[in-house]
Amino acid sequence: MNNNKLIVSHAPFWHDGDSLFKTNLNLMIAALPAVIFGLVQFGAPALGVLALSLSTAMAWEFIVTLVSGKKASIHDLDSAVIGLFLGMMLPATAPWWLVIIGTFLAVVLGKMIFGGIGANPFNPALIGMAILALSWANHLDFDAAYVNYDFSFTALAPLAAVKAKGALAVSDLFSLNDLLMGKQVGAIGTTFGLGLIIGGVYLILRGFVRWEIPVAFIIGIVFTSLCFNLADPDKYASPMIHLFSGYTLFGAFFLAPENSSSPVNRIPMLIFGFCAAGMIMLMRNIGAYDDGTVLGILLLNVVNPLIDAIRPKALGKGVGHA
Amino acid sequence: MIKRSFFALTRPRLGYDTPEPDPKEPKAIPVPSNLILLLHDPLDDARETLIKKGDKVEKGGKLRLYKDSKEYTVSPVAGAIKVIDTYSDDFGNTSTYLVINTDQGLTAGTGDMKYDLKDTIASADEYLRTLPGAPPLKTLADPDIKIDTIVITCADPDLLSTTQQYMALKFMDGIKEGIGVLKRITSVRKFCITIPENMNVKDEIDFAQVFRTSMIYPANLPPMILKEHLNMILPAGKTPEDMGICFMSAEAVVSLAQAYKTKTACHEKVLTVIGKQGTSYRVTASIGTPLRRILNAFSIHVNDHDRLVIGGPMKGFSTYTVHHPVQPDTDTVIVQDRDNIPELSDNPCVNCGKCVRVCPAHIPVNILVRYLEAGLYEDAMDKYDLLSCIECGLCAYVCTARIPIYQYIRLGKHELLKLNADA
Repeated sequence: MNNNKLIVSHAPFWHDGDSLFKTNLNLMIAALPAVIFGLVQFGAPALGVLALSLSTAMAWEFIVTLVSGKKASIHDLDSAVIGLFLGMMLPATAPWWLVIIGTFLAVVLGKMIFGGIGANPFNPALIGMAILALSWANHLDFDAAYVNYDFSFTALAPLAAVKAKGALAVSDLFSLNDLLMGKQVGAIGTTFGLGLIIGGVYLILRGFVRWEIPVAFIIGIVFTSLCFNLADPDKYASPMIHLFSGYTLFGAFFLAPENSSSPVNRIPMLIFGFCAAGMIMLMRNIGAYDDGTVLGILLLNVVNPLIDAIRPKALGKGVGHA
Repeated sequence: MIKRSFFALTRPRLGYDTPEPDPKEPKAIPVPSNLILLLHDPLDDARETLIKKGDKVEKGGKLRLYKDSKEYTVSPVAGAIKVIDTYSDDFGNTSTYLVINTDQGLTAGTGDMKYDLKDTIASADEYLRTLPGAPPLKTLADPDIKIDTIVITCADPDLLSTTQQYMALKFMDGIKEGIGVLKRITSVRKFCITIPENMNVKDEIDFAQVFRTSMIYPANLPPMILKEHLNMILPAGKTPEDMGICFMSAEAVVSLAQAYKTKTACHEKVLTVIGKQGTSYRVTASIGTPLRRILNAFSIHVNDHDRLVIGGPMKGFSTYTVHHPVQPDTDTVIVQDRDNIPELSDNPCVNCGKCVRVCPAHIPVNILVRYLEAGLYEDAMDKYDLLSCIECGLCAYVCTARIPIYQYIRLGKHELLKLNADA
């Protein structure tokens, strides 16, 4: 009698082949067009920031798992994605200590203290970014960051310019073509609008990002900024400037749909995307900050569990008890 | 194994398999010298059993452990009992297995045992429970369960299997006859029959209401058939039987008709066997045949760390031994190579929501699984619809974090049953 040792487990015995590693790898692949453009545009310092950000993010996670005696989990690439996204939101001239503190805040404070992957109530990269922006705003001022660069286009950060001078004064400075093709001053990975759109569409088509959130987000930006713009075109910029500058597109395709901090049901996803965009526009147009993307999405992360309670009734629930 | 498509904007579509248009005769597996029978009745060491090691059994003879046992099995061969021992399944439930040996020279001349079948459900339940296809006679004979509709399933509920579709293509007359028998022996008047929408049935079916079922999983699972074709929503935690609906496989109906015609039981089970490369074979084997015999007949070699799955890839169970027998309800046997076994993990849920979008019962699986992982089964039932689950396994199939969600759900239901039983 041959008695093989068989694998025994429970149904289902098939899997669609997806994994955390694959999902995170695809997120990073989708970010590549914008990243490569940023490296070309801003040169070696940008490479330095991204490399440091990615590696320290993974290192922080590894250190936390080591200290807390947990199984090492950096191979799922989740912290690599956090590091990459944080790096993409920094200017190329960000000092090394800022990057390391940023990844510490993002990975340790944003993710690991809540229990690691899947347990974070906020987008970790945004937590890091928000604290950096509140603490060292001068290092994140894009106009100041690139004074030693010589660009062939308007070397003004569009949103800061709108905030300072009003929409009328800057209306001739930024064309749609320039903004789409990355001819604007901004963070390493967020200036190349076309690249971000390509990456986002790739993620949506491959099913790694739920289409509802980016679509509702973009509709929200266009709708809210149009309302402001129609009310006072001299003061408030057109939807075009708001959509293609700052962190808007990066937020729509990469930050807002972060799995753990966004809803999963359809109507909540639409509400989430639309309201996050609405908050951003309120901050940009009425609030104190140039770009409210970071705080706008974080605010909606807070209410995510509440919105996600809007869900369809389960099969057979509440029937047949009569 | 069906992987996700490159583009995955919509949820995955897992299609049911269809048999070849004019199916060949299945390969018949000779009856082996040792047959293994499972008896869903645990052995009690303190009591003396009715059957003992060395006892002779007749072909078609009923075997029971104790005088008051409600469960029985029927020997498909004449021979002698070689072993009686305890078997435990994947949930730790214990039952008994018997090994019947045929080559001891004791059996010459004995034919099939003739049953004294009357036109009552009790009489059918007395002898025919273990017919191929496992007819639900116990349910039909239970005076506490009021069944008014029988749905005959010619559409296989799980993927890869084509056994029931084959029965429908080859034995539609038998199904008609079986419905006649059921009409005689039960008080059920409404008969429905599920047929896959792309199956060509030669003759018009006028003896039952026809449901043409979709080719996309999980359309053929009982709760989905109830919902789509009978316009009935199965209340959470109820079974179709509670609603007066009994599901019965095509094979069960055919073998019931044959049993009433010949007054003997048939023991030849039709199976779909799926090899490591995904090749599908159809065989007939006597109930009790160890699976090893069938696999050997097609030169399918099972090595260490392979997986042997009984039932379909979504709802079946895996066994730890190649000696597991063919049972009355074994429609499919799948051998998975060690390299094709998807890895599961202990990752926490990352809230990607794929399970929520794929769930046919609209359960918030992402939250449910957190409660189940924490062992909060009652909260899971009250707040997050644990009992609405129709057990299709799609959530675990798509899970990015590779959490064995379906296993958690079954465990949760199992624990709740235990809690209720203790209360």
